[in-house]
Amino acid sequence: MILSSVQLKNFRSHRNTEINFSGNINYITGGNGQGKTTLLESIYYLCTTKSNIAKADSDVVCFNEENFEIKGSFNNSINNEVRIYYSAEENKKYYFKNDKQVFRAAEVIGQFPVVLLTPADHAITQGSPSDRRKFIDSVISQASETYLKNLLDYNKTLKQRSQLLSRLKEQKQFFYTTELEAWTEKLVAAGSEIIKARKRFCKEFNRFIAESYNVIMESDEIPGVAYNYLDGSGTDEIEKLFSDMLSQKKDEELRRASNLIGPHRDDFIFSINDLNLKTFGSQGQHKTFQVVLRFAEFFYLKEMTNRVPIFLLDDVFGELDINRSSKISSYLSKVGQAFITLTDFTNLSYLQKEEDDLILYVSKGNVSYGT
Amino acid sequence: MQIPETLQNAVDELSKLPGIGKKTAFRLALNILKSDDDKVKSLVLALEGLKSKLHLCKNCFNLSEDDECDICRSNKRDKSIICVVEEVSDVIAIEKTNEYSGTYHVLGGVLNPLMGVTPESLKINELMVRLNNITIKEVILALNPDTEGETTALYLAKRIKEMDIKVTRIARGLPIGGDLEFADEATVGRAVLGRIVI
Repeated sequence: MILSSVQLKNFRSHRNTEINFSGNINYITGGNGQGKTTLLESIYYLCTTKSNIAKADSDVVCFNEENFEIKGSFNNSINNEVRIYYSAEENKKYYFKNDKQVFRAAEVIGQFPVVLLTPADHAITQGSPSDRRKFIDSVISQASETYLKNLLDYNKTLKQRSQLLSRLKEQKQFFYTTELEAWTEKLVAAGSEIIKARKRFCKEFNRFIAESYNVIMESDEIPGVAYNYLDGSGTDEIEKLFSDMLSQKKDEELRRASNLIGPHRDDFIFSINDLNLKTFGSQGQHKTFQVVLRFAEFFYLKEMTNRVPIFLLDDVFGELDINRSSKISSYLSKVGQAFITLTDFTNLSYLQKEEDDLILYVSKGNVSYGT
Repeated sequence: MQIPETLQNAVDELSKLPGIGKKTAFRLALNILKSDDDKVKSLVLALEGLKSKLHLCKNCFNLSEDDECDICRSNKRDKSIICVVEEVSDVIAIEKTNEYSGTYHVLGGVLNPLMGVTPESLKINELMVRLNNITIKEVILALNPDTEGETTALYLAKRIKEMDIKVTRIARGLPIGGDLEFADEATVGRAVLGRIVI
């Protein structure tokens, strides 16, 4: 799938921008604060109906304006024209696909798959377990609707169960009632599905990580992701283990009125040659690993969904050396269409630029084509 | 223009109903205003009848015009099978199929701690009393396959198993006449897991 053109009206600093893209790599260059990342944000909007940065649609409207509009043209075997219009007065966003209004975001999500690498990705390898769970869950959910439904079911069960635990605490009933037993059983059933799916995923995903790592690093080090579930006990009888752990924590759960164990507390461990990245990794290794993870996500989604995602890379070369940057840019030529922002024009000489690649200069919300 | 207070009251009351917004309520109110007196009177009677004539069956909590509902009174129904459902509308849905000849038990909801629904606020104790009083061969749990419905089924199964009564849950899978390719992933997945030998 190729995004062939985009038109922006009153979208942040872009008052009126119209760009035709290359089907290969699009290098977006310019100084700080000129509107490079905004271009990526607008593409993300087109693919997912929401921003990856702004919390509210009203945040991205150009100052002193009442609305914004993003139009995009996707070319697959067929053409799809997508238009997003937001009116500040109504505080309402309209999404049109081929001039027909789409009312449910679910109808759009997954239609135009997108993989985004941003500086915020540092949280995946350096942040808290919840950042890692969020990353892994989002990758699996994009490939499996069943997983997403299980996850929603599990999260709902967690909320209900914690409410019930609070009520029991208030009533000073520090023992398992039949009602709590039922919610516990539901928690185990739904949670075990999640754990099993995550285990399967990590096994599969390791292949993709290793492949991307070897291309970018050109080394025979072995990278990996391991799933640390239910306090790292590591057996295969998930259901039994899960309910055993829950009965061990019974008193504590009742006392603290919260769900203390389950996939919502698990962690993932990234490693290089079995050394924990979080403990031993340098800044550069972290950055490289984050890049590797997004490439792995890209190829994983491509294989699982049979759709080629659009790849957005925001300031990926900022912290990497010349050699690494050049490897990544040549790797990208295998990807299909990609959009990369760069701060420094001179960097371009190191990149493996192909003939069909495009260079765009962004300055104060205006875009011009380079060579 | 100021809308007359009587009309405004009618609109406000109508728009409290589910699925009815201000505009629809307004249209309904004007339509009632234009109708003949007879029509309006029979509408009022029908509405009042809902509250004054209909009760919940003392046995199964289905809707009934008497103490006991038609299903509980009928001697054609198998009293040794009870189908547990969430709402009265579920009884109607199952009755339409003509496939079921047992009796019902309407819970009036499902367990939902967040909304403050506890086992005590549902007709669960009444169900246990029924199970104790007469010989029951089977209890069918026909609750919705969502988070709360499934948990309520687990809860009931736990309570009923102690009484040594067979508990079943209705199957889930593909709709009849439906296309496999149009069903959602989770449903197809469940249907494959729940396959049967032919």
